[in-house]
Amino acid sequence: MTTATTVAVPATGQSGPPRAGGSEAGPEPIIRVQNLSLWYGPVQALKNVSMEIRPRRVTAIIGPSGCGKSTFLKTLNRMISFVPSVRTEGRVLVDNEDILAPHIDLVALRSYVGMVFQKPNPFPKSIFENVAFGPRLRGIHDRARLAEIVERSLRQAALWDEVKDRLNHPALYLSGGQQQRLCIARALAVDPQIILMDEPASALDPAATAKLEDLLQQLENDYTVIIVTHNMQQAARVSAETAFFLDGELIEFDATDRIFTQPRDPRTEAYVTGRFG
Amino acid sequence: MARLRLRTGSRTQRRELVEKAMQACFMLNGTVAILALAGILIFLLKESLPALVELGPGATILGTRWNPTSMNPGYGMLPLIVSTIMVTVGALIIAVPWGIATAAYISEVATVRLKEMLKPAVEMLAIFPSVIFGFIGLVVVAPAVARVFGMTNGQVALTGSITLAIMALPTIVSVAEDAITGISRDYREAAYALGATRWQAVRMVVLPAARSGITAAVMLAFGRAVGETMAVLMTTGDATGMPLTEVLGFITGPDFLASVRTLTANIAQEGLNVPWGSLHWQALFLCGLILFILTFAVNLTADLVMHRPAGGRRRVS
Amino acid sequence: MNRRLRQREAVNLTLLRLAALLLLAVLAFMLYWVVSRGVGVISRSFIFDAPRERMTAGGIWPAIVGTTYVSLGTLLISMPVGIATAIYLNEYAQEGTWNRIIRLAIRNLAGVPSIVYGLFGLGVFAALLRLGTSLAAASLTLSLMTLPWIVTAAEEALRSVPQSFREGSFALGATRWQTIRHQVLPYALPGMATGSILGLARAAGETAPILLTGAAYFLPRLPSSPLDQFMALPYHLYILATQHSSLTQVRPLAYGTALVLLALVMLLNALVIIVRSRARAKKTW
Repeated sequence: MTTATTVAVPATGQSGPPRAGGSEAGPEPIIRVQNLSLWYGPVQALKNVSMEIRPRRVTAIIGPSGCGKSTFLKTLNRMISFVPSVRTEGRVLVDNEDILAPHIDLVALRSYVGMVFQKPNPFPKSIFENVAFGPRLRGIHDRARLAEIVERSLRQAALWDEVKDRLNHPALYLSGGQQQRLCIARALAVDPQIILMDEPASALDPAATAKLEDLLQQLENDYTVIIVTHNMQQAARVSAETAFFLDGELIEFDATDRIFTQPRDPRTEAYVTGRFG
Repeated sequence: MARLRLRTGSRTQRRELVEKAMQACFMLNGTVAILALAGILIFLLKESLPALVELGPGATILGTRWNPTSMNPGYGMLPLIVSTIMVTVGALIIAVPWGIATAAYISEVATVRLKEMLKPAVEMLAIFPSVIFGFIGLVVVAPAVARVFGMTNGQVALTGSITLAIMALPTIVSVAEDAITGISRDYREAAYALGATRWQAVRMVVLPAARSGITAAVMLAFGRAVGETMAVLMTTGDATGMPLTEVLGFITGPDFLASVRTLTANIAQEGLNVPWGSLHWQALFLCGLILFILTFAVNLTADLVMHRPAGGRRRVS
Repeated sequence: MNRRLRQREAVNLTLLRLAALLLLAVLAFMLYWVVSRGVGVISRSFIFDAPRERMTAGGIWPAIVGTTYVSLGTLLISMPVGIATAIYLNEYAQEGTWNRIIRLAIRNLAGVPSIVYGLFGLGVFAALLRLGTSLAAASLTLSLMTLPWIVTAAEEALRSVPQSFREGSFALGATRWQTIRHQVLPYALPGMATGSILGLARAAGETAPILLTGAAYFLPRLPSSPLDQFMALPYHLYILATQHSSLTQVRPLAYGTALVLLALVMLLNALVIIVRSRARAKKTW
């Protein structure tokens, strides 16, 4: 007599709603996305996405081109609002406050949630001025305090040793990898809790990428990092939890190990084994 | 925690206020252009309609005698309108083939080094002030025309057309050259692959494909030429009669060897001494209105033509 | 390809070449003519003296001053308005009805004949606003005319600033105005300035707008207030060439005036070209 083992996996071809809670019970989620849908005019880019992101870990978002992962990321700091035809439904709670509501102070939001872009985009100013820009915007003009913030941020971004004696040099003279770490330092300078990264290593060479990934492991201790990447090996290397998006839907969200070795949904399995995307 | 909510703290409020103020300031400046254009049209209408109403279109737009300061004043603008069209068309007859040929040469035949010499030359021609064109028309072209046709004074419509043609040339060359260069490389390659020679490719494939851009170039040049003042003022003479003559003995046609006065020259000549608010003043504003409508219509058409390409004008990506 | 076809081909290509050569010839001739006949008249006294003996002798200094004044006045008015309009179009209202209407207005303003501007200036600035024929009226009139050119140049400068600067700034929590002020304007300003100088050069050469609104043929004194009339180089050339009582006698002066005007315009353009190529070489992004 065979003992029917209760398998938590639903029948093939039919996966239940992805577990919003991710892998396991843990600290209070820092971001709660509840039934988020987003339209660019008539086109729906995000379909009823719900997930909870926990603090102080790296969460990766993967999926094929056009699946909505960048759109999702940009919603988390309201950068998506710059597109005029955008419409949303649902809620995104950051620190228990719905950031899609009209009464949100966008400046405060972007102090809480920082962003690093795909192509490093330092301002054509000096290294010091790049990092100091954020604090200056917030009213800090005291040179000593700025210097302190700049050093702290550059250290956290693992760039301090390389640039400490040329802070007044143009940021654009740095290599690609250094520029990207500078952008991270710039984002850190405003003391965020969450850092969003939109394919941060895709414009970098392998050596710079490796340095960046090491940095992510360090940042994990103090910050919540959400990284969009099309490089699955990278997601596997750096993240604790991974979310798989397809066609605007969140298909599966689980511990990184499980997503890559025992995905629940056949579509996830097809993607991570390289059958498409 | 209410940390992310909009606080009513003074710094946030001040920031929002500055933000809104700056946006309003920029938008207000943006409306200046709209107000200016509307203002010009409205003012022209306001000043000219009384004359139109009082004299009627027959005595103004269609009238044939312009003599506002005589005992029996005449406000007929038809000769001025005809002169304007005549001098402009004459200029285009010279400038359009010349300009398109030059544009085709620059785009299709010239080597890179020649291109680097020709394009700045065209731009340099474009920055000559119009009064200098008029001056050279007066001291070089007019005597030449007089000599060729055996006249004592060369300030005639033909001189104006020649001068205007040289002025219009850069416009035609630049816009047409842009249009021709913008034709996708695929068309040329297909033509050459079929054995076409350089000239055949240009004439039978490239130029027809650039048709809409070239038409736009011609229309823009027409608009500029119609609106030109100094070059014609100094070269076409001053007569206000109808510049018509018998061509081939029995047809009435334009007389390019007559002295003419265009609408623009008319305003320039008489605007200085006209009593403000008089009927003469209003008639001059009517001339201005006609010019405004004429150039507006031409530019509008050129705009439409440029943005609705006929034959697949595609830039090579 | 047979011989007849080859001959036709050569003839046609030669025709194209001739057209281009003719253009070069005309340009060269015009430059030569003005320079050769004008250069003999140029002297320190020609530049710096006022006209004497009913314009048959002396210099053109008041005209140079007048042109400078009216051009600067034009720039003072049209540059801020033009730059602000460009900022609005490119940074605030990139799409939508407002944008389209303003652009339409700009395009059509660019096509209005210069004498119609003069007529409008006469009617509105000189008569209606009671400024009289003056530097003020002429500057206002010329400002309207240069507005489209400045807006176009300023927009081009704004567009050349990479979008990534703006994105980086917004992501750090900057507001739109803060982003424009710190991360857009500083890099667009050089292009805007050079574009404005080009507009200035065009305005300096215009006769029709100032002919009816303030330019005068002979004034005993330099203008001392914006409500004064003024002499101007292009107008001076026009009068010397066509309206003077002894035309042949003043012809050389006319050539001199033409040369000074041409040199002014060419110099301004050359300056912009040099500045722009230097800036392009130094650009780090």
